[in-house]
Amino acid sequence: MSEAARNAAQRALLYGLVLASLVVMLFPIAWMIVTSLKLPDEIFRNPPTIIPDTPTLQGYDAALNSSIATAFVNSVVIAAGATALATTAGALCAYGLSRARFRGRSAFMALLLSTLGLPIPLLMLALYLMFASLRLLDTRLCLILSHAAICLPVVVWMLMDFFDALPVEIEEAAFMDGASLYQCFWKIVVPITGPGLTAAAIFVFVTSWNEFIFGLAFTTSPSVRPLPAMISLLFLGEFQYRWGDAMAVAVVVTIPIMALFVLLQRYFVQGITAGAVKS
Amino acid sequence: MTAFLRAHPYATASLFVPTILLTLVLLVMPFASGAFMAFTDASPKAIAWSWVGFENFKYIFEDRTFWEVVRNSLFIIGLSIAISTLCGLGLALLLNENLYGTRVYRTLIFQGWIVPWIAVAVLWGWLFNFDYGVVNHLFVTLGIFERPANWLANSGLANAVVISGFVWRIIPFMMITILAALQGISTDLIEAAKIDGATYLDRLRFVVFPLIKNVIIVAALLQAVRLFQEVTLPLVVTGGGPINATTTLSLYTYKLAFQQWDFGLAGAVGVVWSATLACAAGLYTWYVARQSRGER
Repeated sequence: MSEAARNAAQRALLYGLVLASLVVMLFPIAWMIVTSLKLPDEIFRNPPTIIPDTPTLQGYDAALNSSIATAFVNSVVIAAGATALATTAGALCAYGLSRARFRGRSAFMALLLSTLGLPIPLLMLALYLMFASLRLLDTRLCLILSHAAICLPVVVWMLMDFFDALPVEIEEAAFMDGASLYQCFWKIVVPITGPGLTAAAIFVFVTSWNEFIFGLAFTTSPSVRPLPAMISLLFLGEFQYRWGDAMAVAVVVTIPIMALFVLLQRYFVQGITAGAVKS
Repeated sequence: MTAFLRAHPYATASLFVPTILLTLVLLVMPFASGAFMAFTDASPKAIAWSWVGFENFKYIFEDRTFWEVVRNSLFIIGLSIAISTLCGLGLALLLNENLYGTRVYRTLIFQGWIVPWIAVAVLWGWLFNFDYGVVNHLFVTLGIFERPANWLANSGLANAVVISGFVWRIIPFMMITILAALQGISTDLIEAAKIDGATYLDRLRFVVFPLIKNVIIVAALLQAVRLFQEVTLPLVVTGGGPINATTTLSLYTYKLAFQQWDFGLAGAVGVVWSATLACAAGLYTWYVARQSRGER
């Protein structure tokens, strides 16, 4: 075989591999969408149809009219609250760690990081009792606090990197002009750390959106229950054989994260790789 | 910079207050208090608790279910991490080649990471449905199975359902992380190896792999720690069954705590879990320290 022919064959093989991977990785998502657009009798047809005969939004109607709509709002409130809390607290701490030098600094950083390994079900025991005694059980606030807490160490570590990369001269000039620490932080540091803060905020939002067992154990009323807990209860209960509706719900939970991804793709990926690549 | 901060110690210290408060109240104290509960018969359903010493630990160590759960967790998570790391590495190498549209392919493959765990769980229940699931249909049509399999009733198959869900969800993370590392390798290095006549596999083994090895290890460990916390898929799809086959440590602890309301036992499992993790982390740190000493 000539060199050129071998090269062409190699490239064809590579494209074949790419195609195969795309099919495997995207098929589940495609199947979720396709099923969500089918009528019940078509869902149970054998062999299954690839493209719905009579596409319908019936599943979405069922999904959004049920308690899913309330749970969706709850999840948005909880994720937004956790994001605001963890990003603000984490940014202040990361800024302090990045700029100040004090004894115990690296021990503090290591301690923060080690909390990531704490078993969540173990933490939930005492948190459950604490929230119960504070009458915070079955509220969105207790989930905001829990989600913020489990994300905080990652946020601090992520943002520290971004602050470390900033030149301190601008801040020094601001202090010379008589700015206070917090003025300098809010007016100078925060505006130029936009990308870092966005990446951190996305991380918290997505983690909170995904979080399942806090929501399941700490809420009992449908009026405060977040999406994952609500979906699992519906899925194991009344949605059990309504696969079209279940798939429509699955698409509905995915849409906000997909929207975030489309709008803020760069920060999304940054937030993911930041942790692993540097440590 | 530090001069200004040193002149204003209170303002500087206040930067740390929110994080310290949140971490202390919501992570450190609950951990300590949960560890304490491991030595009691604590339950939110009981009015008073009493001290039981090491009874809870004795109970779980003598309980066959506990060891089964440990074995299942190690098997499910170990295999999931191994497969997703290998696939992620393969995809990263593939999409680091000079092909048309690699950016588009990367973005498309990344989509799995975006799907929330609960959606993966519901979707996996449908894909592997006994009567109408597309996986059964595909496997029967292709002749892999003689007749549709009841995935959730057989422990080996139920494991495969959970592992495939974990793997599918984590591959994009592994790919993106390893790609980031691959792109950090200077092309000069690769070119130099090519000129020296190194084949693709040689370059992979002697040039590329040593440079990305640490990133791969860290990414895999990070995901392993996260998977140990993950309960959505087993809880929703298999319920931990059949007969505990897919019950992972986190699901087991969760069920002890919030279905049986036995905070003492759940605490004991949690303590064993954190102690094991701490030992593993210690060993890893020691290994890394030894390696970097060796390199010097």
